[in-house]
Amino acid sequence: MTGLSIQGISVGYGAQKVLDQFSLDVLPAQTLVLMGPSGTGKSTLLHAVLGLVVPKEGRIMLNGTDITVTPMEKRNIGFLPQDYGLFPHLNVLENVVYGLAMRHVSEKEREWMGVRMLGLVELSGFENKKIQELSGGQRQRVALARALAIGPSLLLLDEPLSGIDQVTKLEVATQLKRLFQKLEIPVILVTHSPEEAFFFGEHVAILMDGKIVQSGKIQDVLRLPQTPLVRRLLLPFNTE
Amino acid sequence: MLGKWDSGKAILIIYGLAACTAVFAVFTILYQYVAAWSSWQDVVSAFSNERILVALGLSVTSSFATAFLALVFGIPLAYVFATRSFPARNLIETLVVDVPQTFPPIAEGMILLLMLGPASPFHVNLAFTFSALVIAKFFISAPFVISYVGRRFREIRKSGIDFTARSLGASPFQVLVTIYLPLSFREIAAGTALCWARAMGELGGTLIFAGVIPGKTETIPTYISVSSAMTASALAATILATSASTLALVSFKRITSTAERGFK
Repeated sequence: MTGLSIQGISVGYGAQKVLDQFSLDVLPAQTLVLMGPSGTGKSTLLHAVLGLVVPKEGRIMLNGTDITVTPMEKRNIGFLPQDYGLFPHLNVLENVVYGLAMRHVSEKEREWMGVRMLGLVELSGFENKKIQELSGGQRQRVALARALAIGPSLLLLDEPLSGIDQVTKLEVATQLKRLFQKLEIPVILVTHSPEEAFFFGEHVAILMDGKIVQSGKIQDVLRLPQTPLVRRLLLPFNTE
Repeated sequence: MLGKWDSGKAILIIYGLAACTAVFAVFTILYQYVAAWSSWQDVVSAFSNERILVALGLSVTSSFATAFLALVFGIPLAYVFATRSFPARNLIETLVVDVPQTFPPIAEGMILLLMLGPASPFHVNLAFTFSALVIAKFFISAPFVISYVGRRFREIRKSGIDFTARSLGASPFQVLVTIYLPLSFREIAAGTALCWARAMGELGGTLIFAGVIPGKTETIPTYISVSSAMTASALAATILATSASTLALVSFKRITSTAERGFK
C-alpha cells in the first residue's frame, strides 16, 4: 500500500482556479491535518479526492491506482462530512452498514460488522436507536463507524469537531485520535482550528489560495512559520 | 410611518382579510350541499342514475391512471431536474411544470386533437378514447407530482447526503431508491393526491380531445357541462366529484403531516 498521492491537480469552477498544480502525499497509517482559512480550497481538495469534481489536469493515485476519473462510488474512500450526513430514515445500525448493503453483503455479515464497528466507536447497544435520539458526539461516532465499515483505503474528515459542544470536544477528540492510531490507512483531517491541528496531527499542511504554503511536522511549523499568514493562522500557539 | 400604525388594529385587519378568504373558499365548496337541500329527494335519486355512476367510474379510473403515469414519468423527471445541469434546463422545466398549469385547457385539447387525432401527422388516432382522457388529464395534472417531488429532491441534493451515500459505494440508481425516494414520501403522496384531484376536475382538454361519449369518455365534469346547471342530476354529479376530491386531499394531508422530516 502506498497511500494517497495527489500529483499536480488543478481544479476550478468556471474561470476561477481554486487549486493550481496542487500536489500532496499522505502515507499509510499517517494522519495529515489540512489547515487553512475559509475559501482556500480545502473543501475543493476533498471534493476532488472524493470524485465530486474532476481535475482539469494532474492525477490522483490511491495505493498505486489512478482514481482521477473513477466514479465516486468505486473509490472506496471513507468520508465524514462536516454535518455527519447521517440518513434520518435509517436507524443507527442501518446507517453503519449502509455501504455494505450497497455492496450486497449478506444480512448476517452486515449485522456482525455493524455491531463490531459500533463497538469500535464505543456505541454498543445503540443499534436500534433513531439518529434523532443521538447527541452530536454520538452522531459523529456513528458517521465514523459507517465510514470505516466499508474498509476504506483512505479516510477523509471534514471539520469533525465543528458540531461538538466544548464540554465533550476533548473526549470525542481523544477517542478519534486513539482510533486513528489503530488504522493502517492514510487519514486526512480538515480543520481551520490550530488547537485541533496540534491535537491530532503529527503532520500538517497549510493551504492558502489553493497552494500548500508550508507543511511538515506540526512542532516544526509552529516553531518556524514561513510566512506572516501562517504565523497568524497558528496565533494561539505562537509565543513570539 | 409604520410606527404610527396601531399594531393591534393592523393585525385585526390581517386576520379579517384571512377570514374573508377562508370563508369565501369554504362557503363556495359547501354551498353545493345547501343548494341540494332544497330538492334533496331529486338529488338523492340522481345518485343512482346509471349515466352519472358510469361517468363517475370513468372519472375515477382515468384519474388513477393519470396519477400512476405521473408517478412513473414524473419522478424520474423531477430527479433529473434536481440533480443534473444541462442547457436550457430552466426553460424546459418551465415548459413542463409551470406552463401546463396556466395553459388554457381548451387550447390543450385542440393541440392534442391535431397531434393525436384523426389528422395526426404521426398516423395515430387516439381521439375520443379512454387514452385521450388520460393524456389530456396527464398534461395538466402531472406537473403537480414533478413540482412537489422536485422541490424535495432539491432539498436532499442541497443537504449533500446523496454524495455521502455515493462515497459509501451507492450507485446513482441506488441513491435514488434508498435515499431520495424514502425521504420524499410525503411530497410524493401530496403531489399524487393533488394530481389525482386535479385530474378529477379536468374539463377543457378532455371535452375537446376525448369528447363526451356516455359510457366511453363522459366524465363527471363533462357530464355537468352538457347538463343544465340547475338540474338535480348536475348537482348530484357536482357533489360526487367534489366530495371525492375533498376526501382524498384531506385524508392525504392527515397521513403525510405525521411523517418525520429533516436531515439532522
